Formats: sequence, structure tokens, C-alpha cells
Amino acid sequence: MTLSVNGLEAVRSGQTILHPTSLEIFPGDRIGLVGLSGSGKSTLGHALIDDLRSQGHSVAHVPQSPDEALDPLRSMAFQWREAEQALGLEQGAADQKTLFSALRIEGGDLRKRPWGWSRGMQQRFVIAMALIGTPDLIVLDEPTSALDPVVAAATMDLLDRNLEGRSAAMILITHDLGLAARRVSKLMVMHEGRVVERAHTRDILDCPQTDASKALVAHRNWMDLPC
Amino acid sequence: MLNIDKVSVRRGKVLVLKDISLSLLSGNTLAVVGESGAGKSTLIATILGLTKPWQGQITWNNAPVGWCGPALVMQEPRSAFNPALSLRRSVMEPLIVQNAEKPNERISRLCEGLELSPEILDRRPTEVSIGQAQRIGILRALIVSPPLVLFDEPLSALDAVTQKHTAKLIAKLQREEGFAALIVTHDLGYAMAHADEIAVLKSGSIEEIATPEVFAQTPKSDYCRILRDAAIALGALEAPG
Repeated sequence: MTLSVNGLEAVRSGQTILHPTSLEIFPGDRIGLVGLSGSGKSTLGHALIDDLRSQGHSVAHVPQSPDEALDPLRSMAFQWREAEQALGLEQGAADQKTLFSALRIEGGDLRKRPWGWSRGMQQRFVIAMALIGTPDLIVLDEPTSALDPVVAAATMDLLDRNLEGRSAAMILITHDLGLAARRVSKLMVMHEGRVVERAHTRDILDCPQTDASKALVAHRNWMDLPC
Repeated sequence: MLNIDKVSVRRGKVLVLKDISLSLLSGNTLAVVGESGAGKSTLIATILGLTKPWQGQITWNNAPVGWCGPALVMQEPRSAFNPALSLRRSVMEPLIVQNAEKPNERISRLCEGLELSPEILDRRPTEVSIGQAQRIGILRALIVSPPLVLFDEPLSALDAVTQKHTAKLIAKLQREEGFAALIVTHDLGYAMAHADEIAVLKSGSIEEIATPEVFAQTPKSDYCRILRDAAIALGALEAPG
């Protein structure tokens, strides 16, 4: 099922931080939403999730900070059960053991509250919650920024494997075009609250059209830059 | 020259740094990379004298390292400043302590090198962007011309474009000022692009010390290969050709 939203916008303190934006997302799409800090990526992500959920679609969301996803007063076991219930699953139906071991958090004590886990482990717990059920769309907002490179790479590989062959679409929000380029087939580039360019990843890497895309392409890899 | 000689650090019964030996020449850059909990920040705290080594010693030109007045650039630029003071007041503090002459000339010169307008220093930490705050953090570290500057994840709070721009400014200032830079980072791409040598820390021990070229092509240990391959998988590095 194609997901579509029209005229999403956001205003904070009288200032427009997201100009009217319309999107169409097709099943199985892998889309990167890229741009600098403050360009409106997360704002568009939130607006998109709210709109699609109000249309009755199932959307999984991994926010940039696990604090946004986890209730500090509840045990990790409670949060997991709550996610299963929200998805209409029986208790224990989700393959928690496989997901936890793939994300290397099988040693985490589920009786503890979020702050009993390290931030990297909390983030991976939230990613695991996003992978239970069959959402129409998974939105990942800088999913690896709290993780070590080795764990981050393994987590991105797990996400790729898990989404393979599923009709769920995926939106990866990141400031790092180098990361997005390896993981998504389409890109949307944001600048000052607007999507300024939409194209296939290869086309943007080979021939960026806007200044925002050109800056991201030029800075996507450390080694290409003169020191 | 910074000389870290067989340094071990204990926390209770646990050895968090084990027999670390490293050296760093003036004007050179040493990157220390490794996973969370590997001991990177403990190493910085030990060099600064905030943590006492259990064994071994750290010297700068054969004298205790504290005598050379090493400077620190922190990871979170905004929280590194006193929120109640203007940035100018925070930046001036080391100069006031040292009773420096012509402090404004030094500030103007560093502002130019860091592409900052001097007026921005009259704002408070929350009134500047995170990228500007980090450049002002670098300005404060360099204000008294330290021979050794420690950078603790200096770019991880910044976006990809600002990271690379800030790294270039650090490298340019280092060429002009000649300080030795020890950079703790988990970004192997940054280490490869800007360091003369890379030391890989794992569970408190040095796993390998190599030049970026050797690291990219033929890392010796399995862990270094895993680290390099992860950086490639995350797009921070290109696969060796």
C-alpha cells in the first residue's frame, strides 16, 4: 500500500520550521532523509509519523534519543510487553531472544528500568521493539549515533537483513550521507525546513543539483577531503 | 614530546588501563580509537592528572606532564562552558589566571583562524550553534598556546559537514601553532584522515599502533580489522582498493 501525506508543516514560536511538504512512500522503499543539523529532518519525521498514524497506518519509530521512547519509571520488561500489546500480539509472541542476541543485548536485565542499561543498549532495545510486528513504515532517526562503530555497523546490517523481503518501507534520518549512501536507494535532502532535492541515491552522489546536496556529497567521506 | 611509559590505572580491583606506552612528538597527531569502555577517557584523565596512575609515568620533555599545561577540548561544546557567563568571559579566564599581556590580540588571531566573528563571544553558550560552540571550545583550549592539546571526541556532537570543516580548522591551527594533538575518537574516518599514528585501545590495553596507511591496508590484529570493516560498513571509509 502506498503511503501518502500532503502539506505537512510545522511552526514553532511563530517561525516556520517545516514548509508544506508532501510525500509518497511505496512498499519496500528505502529512503534516506539527509541534511545538516537544524534542517528539519526530525521535524518532518515526527510530522510524517503523526499524519500516517492518524490515517490508521502502522508506523514504528526509533527516535534519536532512547529517552524519547522509554518510560524511565517502567521496567524494560514492561515496555516490551506494552509494545506487544499495542501491536495486538500475544505476550511473548515476538522473537525477543533472536532479536536481542542479534543486537547483542541478551545480557540486559529486563527487570531493570532504562537507566539500569547503558545508552547504547537502550538504543538497541528500542530498535528491537521497532522490529516486532509488521509495520507499514519504520522511521529510524539517527539510529546509530549513540553506538560504537562495530555495534553500529552490526545493527545496520541486522536492520537490512530484517527488512529484506518485507513490504515495510524504511526512512533513515541522518546527517551522514556516507552512512545513507550505503543503506538506501532514494534520498531526500533537506535544507532550512524544505525538501530541496529528491532523487535516487546514485544520481545525487554523481550529480547533486542543489547547494545543500553538493555540500553533503563533498563531505560524505573523510578521505576525499584535503587535510 | 609526550611520553606515556607503561601506565596502568586501577579502579578498585579492576585494571582499567594496562601497561600503556605511547609517545607523541610536538606538531604531531596521535588518534586513540576504541569502543566505549576501552579506557579512552581514562587515558585523557590520567594525562591531565585527574586520575593517578597505579604504575608508570607520563612526562612531557622529561618533566611531569602537568608542568607543560596541557589543554582539553571536550565532547559536548555547550555544556563545557559556564551557562551564566558570556563566552568571552569563559575564554578570557585562562588569560586572566596567567596575567597575559595583550589578550585581545590573541583572541582576534584565534577567531580569525577558527572563522569566528569576535562579536559572537559576547553571547552565552546557549545562544550559539553547536558547531560555533565547539570552535569556541577549541579557542579557549588554545588561548594560552599549550604545547599539548587533548581532544575528547571533539566532533561527535557535530553534523557531517561541520565535523569535516572543524577538523580542517584544527589541522590548520596545529600547523601554525605547532602543538601536539592527542585525539580520542571512535570515528576511524577522522583518525585516518588527520592522524600521523593511530593507537587502538581495547579493554584497557593497546591492541595495535599503526600509521593510517598500514591501518587501512593491512591491520595486524583481528580487532583492528573488525574496526576498519565497521567504518567501511558505515560509510566513514572506502574499502581499500
